Amino acid sequence: MDVRITKIPPEAPEVTVIECHEITDTVREIEHFIKSRRGQLSCTKEGRQFELPITDVLYIESVDNRTFLYTDTDTYEAREKLYHFEDVLREKHFLRISKSMLLNLMKLRSVKPALNGRFSAILSNGEEVIISRKYVSSLKETLRNS
Amino acid sequence: MNRKLQILKNTAGNYFITVTLVNIVIFLLGTIFRPDERFGYEAYLSPLIYAAVAFIPLLAFSLLSSGRELTLKQMLVRHILEIIALEVILIFFGFGTESLTAENIPLIAAFALSVLCVYALVTLISWVLDLRTARRINSDLELFRSRHPEQ
Repeated sequence: MDVRITKIPPEAPEVTVIECHEITDTVREIEHFIKSRRGQLSCTKEGRQFELPITDVLYIESVDNRTFLYTDTDTYEAREKLYHFEDVLREKHFLRISKSMLLNLMKLRSVKPALNGRFSAILSNGEEVIISRKYVSSLKETLRNS
Repeated sequence: MNRKLQILKNTAGNYFITVTLVNIVIFLLGTIFRPDERFGYEAYLSPLIYAAVAFIPLLAFSLLSSGRELTLKQMLVRHILEIIALEVILIFFGFGTESLTAENIPLIAAFALSVLCVYALVTLISWVLDLRTARRINSDLELFRSRHPEQ
């Protein structure tokens, strides 16, 4: 697939157009990547498609090879794997806090110690998730340096 | 930092806390049960040896475990199993060659209680150290939030 980038006048709306013969998984991945850069994540709930604002997501979790996005009130499923979100959402302050979870640092209210060198992250909705000790140093570093 | 290195680092910290607490336990139990007993310089090694006997199986278990995230309940069960294993290993190590007499029973019971207390204190001390870390993280989080106000 060729890539063409055209400069447009400042008053014209920016748009990404994908011209393809067939909507393949690769095309969908590109679409999801562009949407996530724009601040939205494509996901499903009960068979319906949603465009979820990144700012609404508390954390993203991988369970039995499926990826779930959690908001204050709902859970959505995404097609992409956790490592994809880790790459795409790094600049949006999402950080890996355990083998199976990415946390939106903007939704982190506070941290308290749990057992065995692990920590509990208390989120803006009062929910608690575990930060593995392996990821505590990267959390400290991210909070200090970003 | 990889998982094994992190486990070694945490274990090393807890090991030296344990050595200090074992020193106190030996002083207390010795003063109460065998006040007239005298030792040579090799006695200085016994806290290090007792702590090592306790930590080698715990370290081996931690390194060989899958590294899967445990829930809080699973973690509590693990702590209980660790305490039981430590009691058995340390009582066997400390009194394995001695016969069970009426004179020994209070000493063994006090020793078992001391193992439990040391385990609880090590867990408490590492929790207090983690609490300090959590406070530092929370103040860094405040600064992070002020740099990145939520839209």
